[in-house]
Amino acid sequence: MNGVTALLILLVLVAGFALVQRRRLFAILGMSVFSLLLSAVFLLASAPDVAITEAAIGAALGTFVYVLAIRKTGRLMVAANDVPGLLHEETGVLSGFEVDVLRRVAAASGLELVVGLMSRDEVEDAVRRGEADVAAGGIVESPDAQPDLLATEPHLATAQFTVRTPSAQGPSAIFRGEVGDLIDAVRGGDEVAVDLDLARLLALSRATPRQLEVARRDGTAGYVFLVAGERGDLLQRVNAEIDRMRRAGELDEIARRHLS
Amino acid sequence: MVGWQGVAAAIVLFGIGTLGLILRRDLVVKLLALGLVNSSVILALVSLRARPNLVPPLLDGPTPQALADPLPQGLVLSAIVINFAVLAVALVFVMRLVERYHTTDSTRLERRTHDEEES
Amino acid sequence: MTWRRAMPWAAVAVVAAFCGLVLSQFGLGQERASDAELWMRAAASLGARNVVSAIILGVRLLDTLVEVIVFTVAVLGVRYFLKIQEESTKAGEEIPESPLVAASSAILLPGILMLGAYVTVCGHLSPGGGFSGGAIAASALLLAAASLGAERVSARFAESRFERVEWGALAILLLVTLAPALLGRAVTTDLLPAGVRGNLASGGTILPYNVLISVKVFLGSWVIVHHFLRHRGEI
Repeated sequence: MNGVTALLILLVLVAGFALVQRRRLFAILGMSVFSLLLSAVFLLASAPDVAITEAAIGAALGTFVYVLAIRKTGRLMVAANDVPGLLHEETGVLSGFEVDVLRRVAAASGLELVVGLMSRDEVEDAVRRGEADVAAGGIVESPDAQPDLLATEPHLATAQFTVRTPSAQGPSAIFRGEVGDLIDAVRGGDEVAVDLDLARLLALSRATPRQLEVARRDGTAGYVFLVAGERGDLLQRVNAEIDRMRRAGELDEIARRHLS
Repeated sequence: MVGWQGVAAAIVLFGIGTLGLILRRDLVVKLLALGLVNSSVILALVSLRARPNLVPPLLDGPTPQALADPLPQGLVLSAIVINFAVLAVALVFVMRLVERYHTTDSTRLERRTHDEEES
Repeated sequence: MTWRRAMPWAAVAVVAAFCGLVLSQFGLGQERASDAELWMRAAASLGARNVVSAIILGVRLLDTLVEVIVFTVAVLGVRYFLKIQEESTKAGEEIPESPLVAASSAILLPGILMLGAYVTVCGHLSPGGGFSGGAIAASALLLAAASLGAERVSARFAESRFERVEWGALAILLLVTLAPALLGRAVTTDLLPAGVRGNLASGGTILPYNVLISVKVFLGSWVIVHHFLRHRGEI
């Protein structure tokens, strides 16, 4: 096997490696390496003109344009699920406990806070793919833990409750949908039996006049934010700011404003 | 020198690129896969006419040597530049989509445009 | 969703078609090896040492011209869809860079610009030409933007100032290409003398074409990069 064959096999491996990356930045950098290797192949195929153009345009300019398009300098991107009280958008204005906490975390790092609202299952996926830095919106420490994501220190205590409408049948299941949909279902007269956290329970009980059977489950938990597994630096920054806010009493003050 | 190995690698790369284009749901990765397909075609064109012991197409001295075929090289030069320009425009369109639908996931995009049509 | 089910098969068909196309051409390579000599003679009559640039700026000149127009349209597209709002510029947006990066980019910058110019000007003598030269020079400007901050570079190198140069280069390029036709000669006639092969002043109109294309690609790439710098992180 000569050098060119080895280079071509490497080329195929790098291309495959780049396209299976979950994080877009790694995929882009992998394709940049691919471009450089390709221009080396062109050089060996006695096509120096093509090699020089591929190196200048494919490896340098193309990569830069991709990186510029996805890089988020100066922004803290938050993927969040809408939960009234914690993180809620009404008439285009975001409010809630977690919004205020995240605003302070972003300000402490000199970043601008950008929140994208999405459904609960999409939130974690957005962080995994690097689309967002932080997942938020009523994520409870233990039932929502993900093996490949890091959880911050709990910033607010909560508990799990089993909620049933009076004539609901069967066992309850952990609720993974939208609070708004649940409220609509209960108001519309559906029978539901779900496990909810405190903030979602409060939102539900405030929104409907129906009688609900609420049983508190054992143990306490806390609301957390999630960051991607390789973002240990971000985790430390968020934890440090939450810790500072807790010691300064700011957390209690924000909680009083939004949750009392 | 690059010959049939280059052609074989180009076909494999074309396959990888097409797979990525279909299976990956992220629009940015889809664009990367499209670029890979483009690169594989360029590699195929360049290595199709490449044989061992060819020299780059530069005229050196009075005696003509065994030059590599310059025509495919000249033609793929354009393909590389156009690929960059098309990539930039495609990324701009992805930016516009993100601005409106807040996602780069093709499945979610389909769902959201579908919802929008219904409402 | 029938389309979704058909998609893998469509992909298999596309890959198979590509495979067949490439392999059908593979056998043809051997008996038509004398093609290279044809192009060599064409390049020799143009006085160019680099046969590839003699092809794209001689025999296939109109292809290249239309390609430059395609590039221009793409740049226009980026300009149109990514409008830069001047009032949105904040002082805090500049990327803070370490002094080491700033100092090394100050050393590298003239070198890369020189390399771009060299690759452009010697396009008819050695590998390179307008496209690669312009791209290399644009990446130098990109380096400056990354180290000094996009706002400072774009203030020094404002788009409104070079817009005329960009369109002027395209207009001259079109005029020079169409000049033989306007003078009543064949379209591919070279109006400049071929010169002695190997000299800088040789290769007829290849050198001016390369310079014009380089200016066009340099400014066009900078426009693309500049717009992406201002809209960074939007995906």
